[in-house]
Amino acid sequence: MTDGKTAGRQDGKSLHPADDGQMQAGFSAFPPAERWSDWVEGGRKHSLVATTCFNCEAACGLLAYVDQETRVVTKFEGNPHHPGSRGRNCAKGPATLNQIHDPERILYPLRRTGARGEGKWQRVSWDEALDDLAGRIRAAIKDKHPNTVMYHVGRPGEDGYTERVLAAWGVDGHNSHTNICSAGARAGYAFWMGMDRPSPDHANAKCILLISSHLEAGHYFNPHAQRIIEAQQRGAKVIVMDPRLSNTASKADHWLPTFPGSEPAVLLAIANCLIRERTYDREFVRKWVNWEEYLGSREPGAVPEVSADGPTPDSRLPFEEFERELERLYAQYTPEFAEAESGVPAATIVECAKLVAAAGSAFSAHTWRASAAGNLGGWMTARCLFFLNVLTGSVGTEGGAIPASWTKFVPAPHVRPPHPTTWNELTWPKEYPLAFFEMSFLLPHFLKEGRGTLDVYFTRVYNPVWTNPDGFSWIEVLRDEQLIGRHAALTPVWSETAWFADYVLPVGLGSERHDLASFETHGGSWLGFRQPVQRALKDQLGEPVTDTRDTNPGEVWEENEFWIELSWRIDPDGAMGIRKFFESPYQPGVKLRIDEYYRWIFENSVPGLPEKAAAEELTPMEYMRKYASFDVPSPAYRRHEQAVPAEEMAESAVNAAGRVFTSKAAPASSNITPMPVPPADAEGRRAAGVMVDGVARRGFPTPSGKLEFYSSTLAAWGWPELAIPTTIESHVSPRQMDASKSEFCLVPTFRLPMLIHTRSGNAKWLNEIAHSNPLWISTADGQRLGVEVGDLVRVETEIGYFVVRAWVTEGMRPGVVACSHHMGRWRVSEESGTGRWSSALVKLEEQGNGCWRMRRLHGVTPWPSSDHDSSRVWWQSAGVHQNLTFPVHPDPISGAHAWHQKVRVLRAETGDQEGDIVVDTAKSHAVYREWLKLARPAPGPGGMRRPHWLLRPLRPVAEAYKLTADG
Amino acid sequence: VTRWSWVIDQTRCIGCHACTTACKSENDVAVGVFRTWVKNVDVGIFPDVKRHFAVLRCNHCEDAPCVAICPTAAMYQRPDGLVDFDESICIGCKACMQACPYDAIYMDPDSNTAAKCNFCSHRVDEGLLPACVVVCPVEALVFGDRDDPTSRVSRQLAAKQVTVRRPEQLTRPKAFYIGAHEATLDPLGATHEEIYMWSDRGTGAPCLPHPASRTLPARVAYDIPRQRTWGWKVSSYIWTKSIAAGAALVPALFEIFGGRTFGTLLSRVAPAMALLFLALTGALLVADLKRPERFWTILIRPQWRSWLARGAFVITAYGAVLAAWAAAAWFGATGLVAVLAWPVAVLALFTAIYTAWLFGQCEGRDLWQGRLLLAQLALHAPLAGLAALLVVAPLIGGHPMTASWSTMAALGLGVLGLLSLGDVLSRHPTANAAAAAHALGRGAQSRLFWTAMLGGTLVPALLFLAGPVATYPLAGLLTLAGLWLHGHAFVLAGQGPPIS
Repeated sequence: MTDGKTAGRQDGKSLHPADDGQMQAGFSAFPPAERWSDWVEGGRKHSLVATTCFNCEAACGLLAYVDQETRVVTKFEGNPHHPGSRGRNCAKGPATLNQIHDPERILYPLRRTGARGEGKWQRVSWDEALDDLAGRIRAAIKDKHPNTVMYHVGRPGEDGYTERVLAAWGVDGHNSHTNICSAGARAGYAFWMGMDRPSPDHANAKCILLISSHLEAGHYFNPHAQRIIEAQQRGAKVIVMDPRLSNTASKADHWLPTFPGSEPAVLLAIANCLIRERTYDREFVRKWVNWEEYLGSREPGAVPEVSADGPTPDSRLPFEEFERELERLYAQYTPEFAEAESGVPAATIVECAKLVAAAGSAFSAHTWRASAAGNLGGWMTARCLFFLNVLTGSVGTEGGAIPASWTKFVPAPHVRPPHPTTWNELTWPKEYPLAFFEMSFLLPHFLKEGRGTLDVYFTRVYNPVWTNPDGFSWIEVLRDEQLIGRHAALTPVWSETAWFADYVLPVGLGSERHDLASFETHGGSWLGFRQPVQRALKDQLGEPVTDTRDTNPGEVWEENEFWIELSWRIDPDGAMGIRKFFESPYQPGVKLRIDEYYRWIFENSVPGLPEKAAAEELTPMEYMRKYASFDVPSPAYRRHEQAVPAEEMAESAVNAAGRVFTSKAAPASSNITPMPVPPADAEGRRAAGVMVDGVARRGFPTPSGKLEFYSSTLAAWGWPELAIPTTIESHVSPRQMDASKSEFCLVPTFRLPMLIHTRSGNAKWLNEIAHSNPLWISTADGQRLGVEVGDLVRVETEIGYFVVRAWVTEGMRPGVVACSHHMGRWRVSEESGTGRWSSALVKLEEQGNGCWRMRRLHGVTPWPSSDHDSSRVWWQSAGVHQNLTFPVHPDPISGAHAWHQKVRVLRAETGDQEGDIVVDTAKSHAVYREWLKLARPAPGPGGMRRPHWLLRPLRPVAEAYKLTADG
Repeated sequence: VTRWSWVIDQTRCIGCHACTTACKSENDVAVGVFRTWVKNVDVGIFPDVKRHFAVLRCNHCEDAPCVAICPTAAMYQRPDGLVDFDESICIGCKACMQACPYDAIYMDPDSNTAAKCNFCSHRVDEGLLPACVVVCPVEALVFGDRDDPTSRVSRQLAAKQVTVRRPEQLTRPKAFYIGAHEATLDPLGATHEEIYMWSDRGTGAPCLPHPASRTLPARVAYDIPRQRTWGWKVSSYIWTKSIAAGAALVPALFEIFGGRTFGTLLSRVAPAMALLFLALTGALLVADLKRPERFWTILIRPQWRSWLARGAFVITAYGAVLAAWAAAAWFGATGLVAVLAWPVAVLALFTAIYTAWLFGQCEGRDLWQGRLLLAQLALHAPLAGLAALLVVAPLIGGHPMTASWSTMAALGLGVLGLLSLGDVLSRHPTANAAAAAHALGRGAQSRLFWTAMLGGTLVPALLFLAGPVATYPLAGLLTLAGLWLHGHAFVLAGQGPPIS
């Protein structure tokens, strides 16, 4: 019982487990909060200002030490008051210091002067850039093509702010990185419970099953790792599936090196064990699974009559019938079958099944990318994994998997714009009606096919040229001014993508920007405040600040203020109805100041915060400026069991399936966490609950109100054969491989604990630790290929090849190779472009007809700079940019890019050099066309583009969901 | 009493490297060097394979070899057991790096002085836990007082089985490991390849150890880059010192035992040569310091347990006596020459051999602690002196060799050769010494070593035994070359095997 007990501990106290003498009498982990404003260290006075890390998505707390005299940040430690990270960090937290002091960073807005990608730049003022962009956006909105404005975000690290901006503009222009990341997992979870992710309560679990490497990466690495190890030390068993010996696999009690794509088979075999031995939570399944709907689907018309009093005991199809059906459905998934599919011994699977069964409701499981992001049908991994949570009754329990929305708190701002009224076909094409979410990685192909053009394209801390598959196709469209009118890269650092922008607009790092974030790290809710620490200090000292540029280096800004300013310039007189969303809540008609935006939220939308602040004689804003985090009192467990309140029941109706509808409005809440919208009934009453044993309970936000073993949505939208948890043949299953042709499944996605996508390339301490991505090959395969550690190999994909060194290891499943995702950064100019801590200098050649070749001129080399360490760089490797050689693989249901590749691994040929890359983008377009054929396009029932109830960022109005005749 | 200690719980550690960067941040540690790092070793055969982590850093030994060897007390132990360093008086001799059996010390490239984990003493003195302890996500790093039974350190030591790194070094380390795999703590417990799983090995990486017997394959998957600490300047200093000692020792012995008048060579040239090479020795010693301008610190505030400090005084005393002796010889003060011959001989011998005790203090380099080194250095001096004099003899007409002396030279070379072979062939008490000896005789330094043995030892010995007198200068030259080559090979090989 860790978090449940610490949840109320925040009152000015540290959450760090070694603080206040807990490790050694007389010793603290942090200076006490009351001395943060005047802390002497090394003979110098410092102010300690809390903020939030901007490296990975976990948004852990940081505490910046600011020298009071020089106003230089001298270090970052953890924030002991942050409920998620509890004063602790991974390697990336302290390394934020490298990022803010990076001699390579961009300090002023730049505008392209030559052709796109030519590398000629001139400094411009923010005003010039704002006016140009605002003029174009204004025209796009006025000319009724608002969706030619697109905001493409990497990991946002914030909740709601920018979606609000887009909604205010009336633009369905949100694009994300989700479909190269978590779309598969989201879909798998969402078809069960509506909400698209779990918040695993690892700290209280008895058994933890991970299909992502959460002890080194994954979502919420540091907060999760703390709790997983805590549980393991207490006796919980950890099971990890991964074809590669990750650090997480190394810490597991059971490592299951499954063949990629076989995870659902193993999970269903575990399910089969539970079902066969009746060791699952029968009562939970009976109450909370839509088994009646399933049975009804099997025998049309057989749904039992359910009255408001609940199902009658003698209903024609009793639960036992469903149990027999379960047994029948999963009988084929024997441990032996799973062994044949996955390579994991049946005995191990049986042993794991026993651990899962024994854990019962304290079974926490998680997958986020890994298998779900690697395979065709990867979403089924998450669906099968959550099946185990359902069977063990560990949904929403202590030690179980809590629907993430129950632990997330997104506070409402002072004014919320309406939903956009248009539908963006470039992000939500009709071929992928069930996608989670935007089909972002297909954008180059859509643009090439003439599906549309972009007038203003923002990339925001996002590097699709590097991060997405098929980067050369990205370069081809980014260069084309006919397809993309203006490209503004909002980024703290140079990136491969920014190189092809029209504007490079420098924005702040973790200690130089405002954001609010709340993430599902444990069985509790919190709010984290990212803030520009120098500005916060000025506030504290009563020094005036115009905007965050005053305190950031050079003219580095932050997006929050940029959007306000841009919105005012789009609608200077308010006539377009946009400006009003960017006016002060305190001074009508006056431009919103960013501190007012947050002040209003903290004063009005965060329950308990004003009281807690008052107890410390602080205003809510002062409290958040000081602690930068708040433990939101919010029940996380068993919310589905809550009874529907009497006032809602007063105006309610119950349908035949037991779904409770009410015409009463939903209870007011200042938490605007996006939730699915289960269908209303014919009278337009909203779904408010579900009858369980005669009591109306909240249930889950799904059409049935229950956990959907049978997804009527999948069935109705063209996928009846996949409506229940089952297996899908992956595009990289062993049956697709011919070992005699040296064919392998390449796992190109694995992450390292000290790096984070392309966001950490500017941190010298991190790149010093990891800077190469050799191809992991099993010892057996290495011997077969005649390849030893350090040898060069050529990895051929469908569209080209890359040349990389080999790391021949026992820590790899034979038949599978793996290459870490982080490395392979490049630049084409010696002294500018991607930072020199992490990039190689390359020669980029376009040979016509979509044929591209990249050759490395040199790796990482020392260079003179204001930081002495740049001349001490001792590593040469920069890794190889493998993503360039991957075509797009859109999963027809989740819309996820299936990252794994079928490759041939060969000894390098004469003349091959490390880092060589050859790609044919014509081939990549052909692969795109092939995968497009797998899709089963909209319209679905009712002529809809997408099931309205499913989650969707920046959800448009319901009418926009109708697929019109003109597309 | 307080005894600050580490408990490092590898059953918790997830290998995230947060301690590494938090330390770099807190202590402003430069790129290329580390106060703490996380070694990764893959042990086993698929699918029964695991990656094991070990957080490596200063052990704050109760018997800290770095403190003993430091000539200026820049490296020192506080009453609370914390081993700290004072960069204001460090001369950058790097001896502490050779003394530490745990690879914990590095030269800070900004200050050019020694640095290492010091428990974040600036934090500890303020009642704050070390930065790595605070950052660690999984509470794997525990800091505390072993003598305080209520501390988490004491409670864990009482409850859990712990191991230490390299117990054979007898340093009484105060970093205790829970659940660390032997292959991570034993520097020779795993093989290194030319790259690691996500990093380069760096240039100047130590030579690969010879395969030790292991039950399971163990391979280092991640480690930090390392540079060799001592190179040609140290090898050359041993060599010039031998000449400086021998060039005076030989005539002094003549004076004492020969009872004959000197020729020009012995009376004038030899002392001058000794002085010259002593000056060269001093120059090399100073040149090898990272802070050469602080050389005098050794004499001003010597730390008397250090053989570096003692050696500096031996050399200084030798230089003074030698100068007087040379002057006496030059001005023909034969009485004084006879009287001074005794101290000259004694100090020359000490000058030649004190390095054996200095190397003996290099607890990190087991090869250097062999018992043969003292005898080798004692032989180096007369051989080097004689050889050097033979080389210059033709220039000033005549050589001092008689048949009996040339036989003795051959014999000396023979004994030296056998002693050197002994380094390679004999059984060594530790795996580190054995690995270094392997490098010397069969590995990275074998070419240097065998060239020295054949061309620099056997050939001149044969020439001295059977060659015409005219070949003696050549034999001398070969002897000198052999001594340098062998010394260099010995210095490099000793630093070859990884010690962390």
